Amino acid sequence: MTNPHWQTDVATRRIERRNAAERRFKLLGLGAIVLSLAFLALLLFIMLKNGLGGLDWDFLSGTDSTSPDVAGVWGATKGSLLTMLVTLLLSFPMGVLAAIYLEEFAPKNRWIDLVEVSINNLAAVPSIIFGLLGLAVFINTLDMPRSSPLVGGLTLALMTMPVIVISGRNAIKAVPPSIRDAALAVGASKVQTVFHHVLPLALPGILTGTIIGMARALGETAPLLMIGMRAFVVTPPGGVTDPSSVLPMQIFLWSDEIDTGFVQNTSAAIIVLLVFLLAMNGIAIYLRNKFEVRW
Amino acid sequence: MILTGVLLAVIGLGLVGWFAARGRARLLYSGRGSMHSMPNYHGWHMALWIIVPALIAWTAWSAIMPGLVDGVVMADPAAASLPADAMHRNAIMAEARTLAANPDAAAFNPEARTIAEPLRAATTRYGLIGALIIGIVAFAGGAFGFTRIRPDFRARTHVERAVLGLLLLASLMAILTTFGIVASLLFEAGMFFKDVSPIAFLTGTHWSPGNAIGTDIDDNFGAVPLFWGTIYIGAIIAMVVAIPLGLMSAIFLTQYASHRVRRWVKPILEILAGIPTVVYGYFAALTVAPIIRDFGATLGMANPSTESALAAGLVMGVMIIPFVSSMADDALAAVPRAMSDGSLALGATKSETIKKVLLPAALPGIVAGVMLAISRAIGETMIVVMAAGAAARLSANPFASMTTVTYQIVQMLTGDQEFNSPKTLSAFALGLVLFIVTLVLNIIALRVVKKFREAYD
Repeated sequence: MTNPHWQTDVATRRIERRNAAERRFKLLGLGAIVLSLAFLALLLFIMLKNGLGGLDWDFLSGTDSTSPDVAGVWGATKGSLLTMLVTLLLSFPMGVLAAIYLEEFAPKNRWIDLVEVSINNLAAVPSIIFGLLGLAVFINTLDMPRSSPLVGGLTLALMTMPVIVISGRNAIKAVPPSIRDAALAVGASKVQTVFHHVLPLALPGILTGTIIGMARALGETAPLLMIGMRAFVVTPPGGVTDPSSVLPMQIFLWSDEIDTGFVQNTSAAIIVLLVFLLAMNGIAIYLRNKFEVRW
Repeated sequence: MILTGVLLAVIGLGLVGWFAARGRARLLYSGRGSMHSMPNYHGWHMALWIIVPALIAWTAWSAIMPGLVDGVVMADPAAASLPADAMHRNAIMAEARTLAANPDAAAFNPEARTIAEPLRAATTRYGLIGALIIGIVAFAGGAFGFTRIRPDFRARTHVERAVLGLLLLASLMAILTTFGIVASLLFEAGMFFKDVSPIAFLTGTHWSPGNAIGTDIDDNFGAVPLFWGTIYIGAIIAMVVAIPLGLMSAIFLTQYASHRVRRWVKPILEILAGIPTVVYGYFAALTVAPIIRDFGATLGMANPSTESALAAGLVMGVMIIPFVSSMADDALAAVPRAMSDGSLALGATKSETIKKVLLPAALPGIVAGVMLAISRAIGETMIVVMAAGAAARLSANPFASMTTVTYQIVQMLTGDQEFNSPKTLSAFALGLVLFIVTLVLNIIALRVVKKFREAYD
């Protein structure tokens, strides 16, 4: 069995060397992962260390203030919720309808190619550009109330819609053609097939994508900075046209404060924001695992 | 106020129409095959006939009503005392509008109070006229829809055509958004380039918009230091961190890790991409920047600044890791199994196969992924706003404070200056440059990825 050429000193040493290189390479890969995860752990640890002490009921129910001891996040949280509501109400129906059209009905022509290219590009356009769009169109041209959840939600909806369209198309594509054929064969029209059979089956996937898009919108700061949502707002907004702040903006504003008491507030607000995001992603993963069908 | 109520009333009417038409269609139903469409479709058909024309009327009326109201108010004797200056007059009108909606509101101009009353009267009158017109349209549409309910009427075909129109409209939103971005950036940047020559903007090396007054305006809008800062932080420092770490993580996870490890580690790694950028920015400013400043001091740096290109770039790099990693993951997965199997069968070790066969084969995909990562890094805003600093300088010193395009956009638009000053408009010119650069990077990268996929399919 054994080849005498492999038993020489030279050959053994070469194999040793190659095996050592193999181990080094593997360790390098492991090191890269450990380093990335260590950074994540450090970030979370520092935020928890600085912020946990500040998390109490007064903080969760209070509103912004110039004094770190009485400042709270409820005003910003409510602003975030209102903004997200506007974003969801606009981007979800729009995104789902556009995905259905592009996947099921669109003819192959140049216009549709243009739509596809612009959706793919919009998903990669820096968020700050959407802020510039919101400022130029919603505030300067249409004269909508500055710093309101309405304008913030509209801007974020434009940003979120491509994400929903892309994930929606993938979910619709994953529904096997046999389902469509079966519905068409018993006499359903094309529209009935899509709305009664394809859409319900694709819905878990679409919802997962929507939640992930919404989570991204919830953490977004830059476009909202452009449309002036950095006001100092003491009373929580009562409606979508009242001036308000949002959670990430509150974090940004507090991080600028010189008073060291705000370090705790900022970190605590970050914990609140991360808890929201974690919950949303958790729901998305749960939906995916529970309803995903492998055909 | 009245118009909002009208909108709700129209929707309510549509609901009533839906039930009425469905009920009527049910009465016509006399057995299997007696009707072309199900009663529900007759309901939808009628509801559409009520709501769509009324909505069109509503939109049209909302657009023309303010003009009509203003006309009446201007003709009122109380408006005679208003100043002729358009800007001042608009301010008073805006105040009067607030007063008309809420009489207890505060007003700075006494004129606003005098015209608030005629304004309210005119608003109410035109609101009622509008409500009447919209109501007539809704009823006419509904009546027309109702008369069409017959057993052989193809309600389903009509409703489905409307649904298709709606779907098409939704997908056109994407084009509309792109068009809106391009148009608004071009328009505002065009105003800026009326004052500042584009060549001076793109090639000048001195950036201090604060001093920009008078004739030397061109000299203060040289954006090269901003471009350099953006490239240095986003495309150099961040990539030096993100490419090795992301690529090695992808290699380890796809080639070495067991299935179980991969299933747990990958989602945890993805958390890095899900953390909001403002959190990274705070972390960079609070934790990373002081460490780097102290490190700079031990290197013998004379008075290193807290804000440094290195702090921003490092943290940005970490943020991009999962992105590079998942792009590399896809690229490696697209390489046919036979290629690595062939190399392994010849006796190459796993790492030799990866280095000599897999990586070269996956290179186009990886390069495209890196381009997308760069496009994301240079558009990143919050990290640089919080950690990179405001000093526009051309320097290769990573410990120096450096500014970027996105930082300056934020800076120019969050101050308190009037909207049409060159300083404010410069933000849109910078935005235009950013948009074009990221667009080009994305288009090239997406094309490379597509070609690369086809090559191995």
